[in-house]
Amino acid sequence: MQLHGWEAALFYVLAIMTLFMAVFVVTARVAVHSALFLISTLVNVALLFILLRAEFVAGVQILVYVGGVMVLFLFVIMLVQTRAEEESRVRLYTGQTWPAVIIALLLAGSFYFAMSPAQAAFRPPDATTAIAETAERASAGAGLNISKDTQEVGEQLYRQAALPFEIASLLLLVAMVGAVLLARGTKQEKYYE
Amino acid sequence: MRISNCESRNSQSAIRNPQFVMVPLSWYLGLSALLFTIGAVGVFIKRNAITIFLCIELMLNAVNLTFVSLSGFFGDVGGQLFVFIVMTVAAAEAAVGLAIIISIFRNRESLNVDEVDTLKL
Repeated sequence: MQLHGWEAALFYVLAIMTLFMAVFVVTARVAVHSALFLISTLVNVALLFILLRAEFVAGVQILVYVGGVMVLFLFVIMLVQTRAEEESRVRLYTGQTWPAVIIALLLAGSFYFAMSPAQAAFRPPDATTAIAETAERASAGAGLNISKDTQEVGEQLYRQAALPFEIASLLLLVAMVGAVLLARGTKQEKYYE
Repeated sequence: MRISNCESRNSQSAIRNPQFVMVPLSWYLGLSALLFTIGAVGVFIKRNAITIFLCIELMLNAVNLTFVSLSGFFGDVGGQLFVFIVMTVAAAEAAVGLAIIISIFRNRESLNVDEVDTLKL
C-alpha cells in the first residue's frame, strides 16, 4: 500500500489544499464561509481516502458528511444567523489566543513524540514489492481493476462488528428523538403538554 | 516525475528508491495531526458556537484520516469499521448539538460562547 508517481504528487497537492482549507475554516469571518471551507476540507479528505484505496469510507464521507451533516449545519446557520460577525469591529476570537497557541504547540509536540518510537514500524516493508505492485496494477488495466474494499468492509462489518453496528443505529434513533425534543419551540411545547 | 521528485526530498523512501516518489505513512499521520491541531486551536479561540462545532467536526475527520491511513498501510479493514462508527457518532452529535444551539439562540438571541457560560437563563 504505497503511493508513487503521480499518486504521490496528488497526495502532496491534496494535503496542502486540506491544510489551507482547514486554516480558512478557523479564520473565516462569516459562519457560512466556515461551513463551506469545511465542506471543501471534507471533500479533500475523501479524495485522500480514495488514494488509500478506501473507496467505501470515501463514499460514506461524501454522502453522510457533505450531503447530510454539513447541509444540516448550513440550515442551522441560516436559522440563527445574526450577521453580527460581518462587521469588522466585532471580535472573532476569545482573549485566549496565546494560551491556545501554546496548547496547540504542546499538542503537536506530543503527537510527534507519540509517533516517533513507532517510526521504525512505519517504514515501507520493501521498495521492490511496491514497484511490482504498480506494474501489476498498470498491466491489469484501468477498467478491469475493481477494488474489493467495499466488499471487505461489508463482510467485516457484519461478521466482527455486528453489535456496534446495531448500537450505532440505536444511537442515531436516540439522537433523532433528542434533537426533536430539544429544538421544539415554546408554542409546540404548550401544544404537547 | 521530476516535479514530484523535488517535492519529497525529505521522504526517506524516495532516497532509498530514487526512481519512484513515495508517500510514507508518517506523512499521512503528520497531516492528520496538523488537521487535529488546527481544529483544536479553532475550538480554543473562536467565539461563535457554530464555528466551534465545525472545528470539532474537523478534529473528528483528522482522526478518521489516521484510522484509514493505518488501515490502508497495514492491510487491515478494521480501521475502516472504526471510521464508520465514528461517522455515526459524529452525525448523532451534530444533530443533538445543533438542536441545543437552536434552543440557546431562541432563549438568548446570541451564539457568543462568552455570553452563554451558564446553561440556565
